Amino acid sequence: MKIRAAFVRALRATWYLVAGLRTVLPALLGVCLLPLALLLAFGVPGLPWVAGRIRVLTNIERRRAAQVLGHPIREPSMPRPLNAYQQYFSLMRSSAVWRDIAWMVFHAFFGLIVAIVSVEMWLAIPWDLALPFWWWTLPPGTLGAIAQIYTWPQAIVYPVATAAGITVVQLWLQPRLARFQAWYAERLLGPTRRTELAARVESLTETRAQALEAHGAELRRIERDLHDGTQAQLVGAALRLGLADQTFDADPEGARKLVLDARSGIEDALSELRTVIRGIHPPILSDRGLAGAVRALAAGRPMPVTVEIPDPDRRCPAAVEAAAYFVVAEALTNVAKHSGARHAIVTLGHSGPYLTIRIRDDGRGGADPTRGSGLAGIRRRVAALDGVTRIDSRSDGSGTTVEVELPCGV
Amino acid sequence: MRLVIAEDNVLLREGLQLLLTTVGHEVVAVAGSGPEVVPTLLEHRPDAAILDVRLPPGFRDEGLRAAIQARQLLPGLPILVLSQYVEETYAAELLRDGAAGIGYLLKDRVARVSEFQEALERVAAGGTALDPEVVSQLLTRRDPLDSLTPREREVLALMAQGLDNTTIATTLVITERSVSKHITNIFQKLGLPPDEAGDRRVRAVLAFLEAGA
Repeated sequence: MKIRAAFVRALRATWYLVAGLRTVLPALLGVCLLPLALLLAFGVPGLPWVAGRIRVLTNIERRRAAQVLGHPIREPSMPRPLNAYQQYFSLMRSSAVWRDIAWMVFHAFFGLIVAIVSVEMWLAIPWDLALPFWWWTLPPGTLGAIAQIYTWPQAIVYPVATAAGITVVQLWLQPRLARFQAWYAERLLGPTRRTELAARVESLTETRAQALEAHGAELRRIERDLHDGTQAQLVGAALRLGLADQTFDADPEGARKLVLDARSGIEDALSELRTVIRGIHPPILSDRGLAGAVRALAAGRPMPVTVEIPDPDRRCPAAVEAAAYFVVAEALTNVAKHSGARHAIVTLGHSGPYLTIRIRDDGRGGADPTRGSGLAGIRRRVAALDGVTRIDSRSDGSGTTVEVELPCGV
Repeated sequence: MRLVIAEDNVLLREGLQLLLTTVGHEVVAVAGSGPEVVPTLLEHRPDAAILDVRLPPGFRDEGLRAAIQARQLLPGLPILVLSQYVEETYAAELLRDGAAGIGYLLKDRVARVSEFQEALERVAAGGTALDPEVVSQLLTRRDPLDSLTPREREVLALMAQGLDNTTIATTLVITERSVSKHITNIFQKLGLPPDEAGDRRVRAVLAFLEAGA
């Protein structure tokens, strides 16, 4: 059994190496054309095209390497500059592009030789084993295995020994060759630590700019709510009280009406203030923590909502919990209003440094984040904290799933 | 009435004291933090207590917890809980051991002095006073309530606030007879048979409070 497994492994490795011709041959062509390609590349419009073609080829190898590595090689990001001129220089400077080219050159020769030799070695085994049957048809010393064959004993021992030797070597070597090919592909085609960090910095810069923008928009919204709502109401109430003071002696009934109006105005202002406060940081969140607040949210819904919180005591910064609460509230409101769902499940968990929130329902799906303010509000709020929103809402009856990841600090 | 109040904000405490003494009550003691509430109540044995939900030291729901504890140590003590905001979850927790002598109102309601006074007296007399906002939160609820007609929901909402048939009739501008007819329908639809022990009005309110809590 062990021997059979070894054979299977070795043959699979050979197949991997032979299938490598799929990238070897284009790479070989690429190497032949490389001088021309580089010449073309130094003309500004040509380089992105050349780099793009090479990237297509290396991507095939990145996926192919998964057979040996168990996972595809991650693609280092290509520079995404603003204009053609910038693109030219950033491509010229991009180590990923040069590493792609280095792989292409090495793979073209090594891949070709290894594929041919591997197949040839396997074919040598039946060839050797067949020798005893026909070596005598040619003059002695013409054929050989290890050494020239002159006698019958030599004709038996030499080929069998050779075949056995080749078999042992193949069983040992083939998987190693395949691994080596995948290894150099990963080394050259995978993202280097530097490019990975550079890409991370780039994406962080981008999301931070968005987060700041979204945060600013939130502040402006709160300011507007307070300014146009609460503040205006209070000014109106103060004005009425002032008028009541003026008319108190002359018209006590009128003054009384003004006082009562002022009171209604203040009540409205308080009510609006509560709404604004809920939008900033819901009070129940301070009282009961995120787990308690979400349970309270789930309780007050027109349909049954299951809440799953495996680790209710783990806390996140207040801003993150407020956003999480907002996401659950908004998503559940959507479920109640649009989905026709009979049941919803809210899951709160932690994965690494992230707080993950999932709201799933069994409704009709087809939610469109570009329409309606609910999902857009979720996205905006999540983006403000550098989080990720995923909405899966096909119209095939599998319901809607809203998934949100928020960085929970350290 | 002899009252104990628990309120940490000096402005609100003085306002409340002023209001209560103006309408003829006596504030026998004031608790300024959560842990003080129950000992103060045990010491003074007031006719009713008015508690703020958020109290030091944690500024969370100390007042609410104190209220629940006080209900167990001093059964029958009427408690009116005041808060800057209302949560139906809190209402459900307050009413878990029965709705007699429990009030849960927004602080804003204090401004309507006569209504506030009525609510306080109702609670002191063993009745219930729930804020209309809690009730409206509850009325967005499901199942048994779906079968109620809009008018029955209105009646139930007022009932849940703790109003009696006469007041409900005046508020909705209908006769007292049709109010009791609506109430009978509500009892039927919520599955509350007349022969069971306990106040059905209270149980009707509890029925949907507990539906999702």
